[in-house]
Amino acid sequence: MTSTMSSVLGKDRAVKIFETMVRIAACDRRIQQSLAAGELQFQYYPCGGQEAIPATIASCIKPDDYVVTTYRGIHDIVAKGTPMTEIIAEMYGRVTGTSKGKGGPMHLSDPNTGLMVTTGIVGGGAPIANGLALAEQLKGSGRIVVCNFGDGAANIGALHESMNMAALWQLPIVFVCQNNLYAEYTSFAASTRSKTIAQRGAGYDMPGVCVDGNSPEAMIEAVEAAVKRARTGGGPTLLECVAQRLQGHAFGSEETHMDKVALDEGRKNAPIIVFRKRLIDTQTATEDQLKKIEQAAEDEVSAAQKFAQSSQAPGAHELYTDIFADPGLVPDSGIMAKAVSASPIPAGGRKLTYGQAVTDALDIALGKDSKVILLGEDIEDPAGGVVKATYGLSTKYGRERVRGTPISEQAIVGAAIGASLAGFKPVAEVMICDFAMVCMDQIANHAAKLRYMSGGRTSVPITIRMLTAGNVGSFGAQHSQSLEAWFAHTPGLKVVMASTPADAKGLLLSCIDDPDPCIFIEPMRCYFGADMVPEGDYRIPLGSAAIRKSGKDITLVSYGWGMQEVGAAAQTLAAEGIDAEVIDLRSIMPFDMPTVLASVEKTRRAVIVHPAVEFCGFGAELATRLNDALFGKLKAPVGRVGARYTPIAFSQTLDSLHFPNAGRVVEKVKHLMTFK
Amino acid sequence: MAKMTLKLPKAAVSMQEGKIVEWFVANGADVAVGQKLYALETEKTTMEVDSPFTGTVTLLGQVGTTYQVGHPIAEINT
Repeated sequence: MTSTMSSVLGKDRAVKIFETMVRIAACDRRIQQSLAAGELQFQYYPCGGQEAIPATIASCIKPDDYVVTTYRGIHDIVAKGTPMTEIIAEMYGRVTGTSKGKGGPMHLSDPNTGLMVTTGIVGGGAPIANGLALAEQLKGSGRIVVCNFGDGAANIGALHESMNMAALWQLPIVFVCQNNLYAEYTSFAASTRSKTIAQRGAGYDMPGVCVDGNSPEAMIEAVEAAVKRARTGGGPTLLECVAQRLQGHAFGSEETHMDKVALDEGRKNAPIIVFRKRLIDTQTATEDQLKKIEQAAEDEVSAAQKFAQSSQAPGAHELYTDIFADPGLVPDSGIMAKAVSASPIPAGGRKLTYGQAVTDALDIALGKDSKVILLGEDIEDPAGGVVKATYGLSTKYGRERVRGTPISEQAIVGAAIGASLAGFKPVAEVMICDFAMVCMDQIANHAAKLRYMSGGRTSVPITIRMLTAGNVGSFGAQHSQSLEAWFAHTPGLKVVMASTPADAKGLLLSCIDDPDPCIFIEPMRCYFGADMVPEGDYRIPLGSAAIRKSGKDITLVSYGWGMQEVGAAAQTLAAEGIDAEVIDLRSIMPFDMPTVLASVEKTRRAVIVHPAVEFCGFGAELATRLNDALFGKLKAPVGRVGARYTPIAFSQTLDSLHFPNAGRVVEKVKHLMTFK
Repeated sequence: MAKMTLKLPKAAVSMQEGKIVEWFVANGADVAVGQKLYALETEKTTMEVDSPFTGTVTLLGQVGTTYQVGHPIAEINT
């Protein structure tokens, strides 16, 4: 037996794996003791029974390899090498924790040790893990990614999209399904008909291996093979490590859904107990040696707990930091400053359509910075995008950097997020605004929040482009919406909607270089017709509105294709002797409140116009802010003209009734002018 | 030597209070980490809570009484 253990694992590695398992168990136990003592109060998802999996993997990967894990992930985090002090301090919600107390048990990040994401969304980590792998593949670094998830996550769409994409691109990643036999309160058998998760690998033409996750000796060969495959260009592996969760779903949870006999048996033969005995029986280690390891782990955890207890809670100023790179952009801070262009916009230029201006911006960004990459459906030549916005770019810059993707919005946005965590500036395209709902988890739960959840240790400088086909006719309810208010409602996202070709170029270039995730919505209605666009690289800063027409009687504020209706309305009003000032907001997060405020202070009347549904639209936010700031100075209540509260109909008759138009704007203005 | 206070734990997201159903140890007994200390009844379930510390226990909470989460229910002199 001695030779077996030595030949399979090697003596030093076997002891090291045991040490990692003991440190994991000590950490898990101490957290639960503090919960039992009432000292800590939070929902904790214990990892008992799964210690051997990351301990074995850790012995096969390098310190700078990446790990992505899930809310039941304390074992993965300890094994990756995150300092125990920072882990425990995060559990206590202290400023010395991995995420300054902003992440907590479900969102630890430690980029120093390659622990890039811990997600609380089942399956949400896999698309991002792909992005990390893509980044390292593009760099040719040899780094690999270990993507951990549970058997429950195996049945969610994000995993399917991610595994297909990883196999397609042969990404350097190992998908580790830690099958602990239960998805929350539901058994494996009640979740899936397939006997294993690993067998699904065949569907992606990816090696799928199922191993005993209780035993380092049983796992090591498969783990090493998967790691080697990833590192040497052989692509991904689906590695299923079957273990047994030895507790209920969370600390304190009932266990009535679990097999009582199997649970008792499992606890008696817990991996850590069995492996310890193996080390002794095979004379791989002495009792004395193991006791020292166990004592050292207890001491480490005790010291970490003392460190946490004596650390400070984050100060109130931390509430608003790590949302954006610039804390001054947070709208709660009051009136945001007007963004000022760093350099003047060049004069002259050439006539381009909106779409050509977008292509020009992408071309400039790709040419200037090798870290800029494009991802999206149909974006490669010869198609060059559904509206040709990326035409010619894959031919010019190659299909590595201008990368067509499967129809997998979660995987596309996740790949962009992951690549951005590893230093790239990805521009993802999800084609149509309405399709962004398919990947809203990646956008709203991950891109928007990773900076905050990591306490500012990671950030997501990505741009997500999308069209809205509203009011161009015949696209109906699922291709025509203006969903900017959905995005703006999520702290951490910047939201941009240009109305002219020149703005589209200057704003898109700003987004690509922005340190935060930017949603760039392109109204298809603005794609028609050409206008002058300056040559070369210039930037229009986010949060700088443009006054399109000066006026003294009323302020009309809009953005995107709403500007066309507002412009027409202003002309009609002028003919009737009403002199409107017209403001193009250009971005709604951040938005240029100073310009709007100065205008409305002058005109004392305002209407906000947008193609999005009026109810709960951005107009409501702006109107409230104007009322708050100018109550008593306004001659009339701030008005709104948005789309009707209906889905968008196919029929042109109904479509034109749904959307705002110049006539409705004029009508609203005339009504407001009756207030004296 | 330190006096550690045991408070009523939050054993579920929705838990606001819990009832001590039974103490498994006598007042003044020596207890070890992991030893079953008391049975706690919440709105969902009854769970057995292990001692988080080793030492001599002073029982503060009464059997049959419902306490708020965070209320001191025992002390352990370690």
